[in-house]
Amino acid sequence: MAGATPLRFANLHDVELCTHAATGERRAFGELVRRHGSAVRGLLRRMGAQVSEADDVAQDAFLTAFERIAEFRGEGTFAGWVKRIAARSYLRRLQREKRLGMFGSETLENEPEGRVAGDADAAIDLDGALKTLGPAERLCVSMCFGAGLSHAEAAEALNLPLGTVKSHVKRGLEKLRARLAPGGAVGEGRRGNG
Amino acid sequence: MAEIEFERRLERLFAEAPELSDAGPFADRVERRLNTGWQTRRWLIGAAGVAGGVIGASQLIMSNVFQRLENAGDSARVLQQGISQITPHEGWLSGFADGGAVVWVASALAIVAMGFALTRVIEEL
Repeated sequence: MAGATPLRFANLHDVELCTHAATGERRAFGELVRRHGSAVRGLLRRMGAQVSEADDVAQDAFLTAFERIAEFRGEGTFAGWVKRIAARSYLRRLQREKRLGMFGSETLENEPEGRVAGDADAAIDLDGALKTLGPAERLCVSMCFGAGLSHAEAAEALNLPLGTVKSHVKRGLEKLRARLAPGGAVGEGRRGNG
Repeated sequence: MAEIEFERRLERLFAEAPELSDAGPFADRVERRLNTGWQTRRWLIGAAGVAGGVIGASQLIMSNVFQRLENAGDSARVLQQGISQITPHEGWLSGFADGGAVVWVASALAIVAMGFALTRVIEEL
């Protein structure tokens, strides 16, 4: 029953929960979703997905993970494994809806800086900083640093040349470094946007 | 700031995703979908089993299998008599009432074996 996860599952390590889930124990997998659902949804939002879209993709990713749970050998974290599934699933969705074409461009215009505005008290705001990146830069940085894909894996998933992905990541990192540096452009950007 | 240091910091920031307020309901939705999929799969397997059983039973009836079993029983009886003539002092087949019983026991064992195999297949699915 929903919300009545047995205590024994709540006390188990992720790998143990995966072992239970591999035997078809769906409540054990539910506990894994409870633990890591926010991280996966958060990553998808950081990749640029809208809230409802991120939730849909995350749900599908977890269902896929349950189907393929026997493939998870405990090398790396469960959250990292599901994040990679979710990131690839989101890219497939973008490809299906033909929203990936624009990411091949090297000179993509960034979104307006005004979207940085958020909680004025937050000293370091990754989400806000990511919004200053262009969609391709944001996607590439999130895939490499959020989902843990290598540049080559990201290039393959995005169906882009490796060099293009590397330059998106490089430019994205430069912007993030400027934004996230102590006393950096986050505050300046906010001041600049009122 | 060194480049590698910044990249590590960025990885940490990505890993430190805030807990969303609807994390519980989200997990419940996923679990519900898992359960729905599981139930659907069980119904499909069950329906396939029933359909297979009906087809199998109809084929058995259509092929006069019971008549053949009786014939096989007669053959087994003849075989048992032959064996008892060859080994008159050994009563190892006397435990069976007649050859027909042997056939029915063998059929029952075959059905149990098929049931076991089917159960394993369903578990694997």
